Amino acid sequence: MNKKLIALLLALVLVLGLAACGGTTSNEGQSDSEQNSDDASQSYTVGVCQLVQHPALDAATEGFKAALEEKLGSAVTVEIQNAAGDSPTCSTICNTFVSNGYDLIMANATASVQAAASATADIPILGTSVTDYATALDIDNWTGTVGNNISGTSDLAPLDQQAAMIQELFPDAKTVGLLYCSGEPNSAYQAEVITGYLEDAGYTVKVFTFSDSNDVAAVTTSACAESDVIYIPTDNTAASCTEAINNVAIVEKVPIVAGEEGICKGCGVVTLSIDYYDLGYATGEMAYEILVNGADPATMPIEFAPEATKKYNASICETLGITPPEGYVAIEES
Amino acid sequence: MEQLFAYFSSLNPLNLLKSLPGGVAQGILWGIMALGVYVTFRLLDFADLTVDGSFTTGGACTVMLITAGTPAWLSNLLGIEVGTPFPAWLALLIAMLAGLLAGLCTGLLHTRLGIPAILSGILTQIALYSINLRIMGMASNKAVSVDKYNLILSSRSVTPAIFIGLAWAVVLICIMYWYFGTEQGSAIRATGSNPAMSRAQGINIDTMKVIGLAISNAIVALAGGLLAQYQGFADIKMGQGAIVIGLAAVIIGEVLGEALFKKHLNFLGRLAFIILGGVIYYMVVVLVLWLKLNSNDLKLFTAVIVAIFLAVPYLRGKAKNSFASAGKKGAKTDA
Repeated sequence: MNKKLIALLLALVLVLGLAACGGTTSNEGQSDSEQNSDDASQSYTVGVCQLVQHPALDAATEGFKAALEEKLGSAVTVEIQNAAGDSPTCSTICNTFVSNGYDLIMANATASVQAAASATADIPILGTSVTDYATALDIDNWTGTVGNNISGTSDLAPLDQQAAMIQELFPDAKTVGLLYCSGEPNSAYQAEVITGYLEDAGYTVKVFTFSDSNDVAAVTTSACAESDVIYIPTDNTAASCTEAINNVAIVEKVPIVAGEEGICKGCGVVTLSIDYYDLGYATGEMAYEILVNGADPATMPIEFAPEATKKYNASICETLGITPPEGYVAIEES
Repeated sequence: MEQLFAYFSSLNPLNLLKSLPGGVAQGILWGIMALGVYVTFRLLDFADLTVDGSFTTGGACTVMLITAGTPAWLSNLLGIEVGTPFPAWLALLIAMLAGLLAGLCTGLLHTRLGIPAILSGILTQIALYSINLRIMGMASNKAVSVDKYNLILSSRSVTPAIFIGLAWAVVLICIMYWYFGTEQGSAIRATGSNPAMSRAQGINIDTMKVIGLAISNAIVALAGGLLAQYQGFADIKMGQGAIVIGLAAVIIGEVLGEALFKKHLNFLGRLAFIILGGVIYYMVVVLVLWLKLNSNDLKLFTAVIVAIFLAVPYLRGKAKNSFASAGKKGAKTDA
């Protein structure tokens, strides 16, 4: 019994020692790959960590892979790992990528980006399918770049295109009201950016914020009274109470332009919807810049989808008597 | 054939070796969670499904507290500078308290309201989903960056994380070894092994069940808090399937321990082997990922591995069965 215990303890020490060695060799692996990247004719290994099987995320991964293989051909190996919905598995996957000294990590969805950010401060990380990096990575002063070794693409519809859409549909409107929750930094950021575009287009912009879902109806009422069109960014609180907003806006006959499809389905007239394959492709192009041209992720601003689909809410459009122009697709009722 | 060859040549054993430390670190944390599962599943003989919820509760509490910062009165109390982040160890202790309350809730549902064991666990687990969302400020996911806060462990530096995880495990095992040797701890074990006899001996088995559940979920929440720091975020779904991993770790650990030590495996050894069980479970995950098998099959493969561990002791027992060997002997002499 005693002998066995000693043997077991020895085995344990061996395993741990091995583990510890593995940990240190991983660092060496990293520096190796860094040195190699000066070489022009070398091959790259890229790890993709995807949170869950989901049509949008799958499309982004496909787009990413297609972009890299188109540009680098057989010089790049893209290893795709899926955490099957288990967010802790993202951590396992990213650790594997880091310890194997991969050249770049593409993290698909918020939990993947967080796990990758936790796992390495050296290997470049590109995120995708993340709406707001400031919230996802807990960054206080958002300036458009994450800094460190992280960059990527956001699935937020481009704000300049959203402003253009407002202009296209409501050229006669004078005042645009921005409606969002004061507690969501993500919404405040979007509101600030779109204010610039809207003011350039000649609109007067007024901000209406609510503190939580309880005062949404009251704030919406005052927003409706003072504006000709209302814009709601991708606000989680607004998304959770679209009915309350709709009940006020429909009566006041004020059209709402929404930052994402979910809000538009509940209370909006039109929205911009992005294609995840294109988003992944754009991420792949960023990866190429980093791998081959030595771009520094710290200085690369978060990019948005190159093209977006214009969608409209058929029933609200009908109620308000708005006929969407050519090129708008009706949101599927489900 | 060529494809098969290409597949095998694409597998680099060195890569597997390099991936192991990450698996070990995470495995230890899941092993700590499995210690909590062991309290209910083995000591109390209570299939407690609260775990999936209380694991997330632990992670959510820890992340929210660490990112919230220290209030002035607490800074004064602890003698630390005002405005510094919330100390991670205290966040973990508060997370344990939250887990304790979750276990208490399941216990009271079961003992005071007469709801069957599995159902009371499920009820608390469902309720915790909403509560966890509330804890995280109605967000499904909260980040805690190692660059910004002073975390106890992080996947950024795997080797220290292994030793820190191990240190927490050792301390926890020592406390558990001591506690389950006290009068109350023994009463909890007695309740699990023979409730009728325990009641006849004057043990209040309802109280013992509630205490056991509370302790179990406090340990689970602690593991959740550690894992959230390790992976750098808390997620509303991080506890999904935690009970399966916990049970797997308990069973793998026990099977291994019993195979090595036979009947000499004492309580202390059993607890240590459960941590090893968690590590082995995560080795399997790392292996499946390394084999580049379709990750849609990840859960199937882990289920198969656990099933093997469950089946081996039974089959071995059957093979050694005295009747079976007697039958064989009989057949030999007859022939």
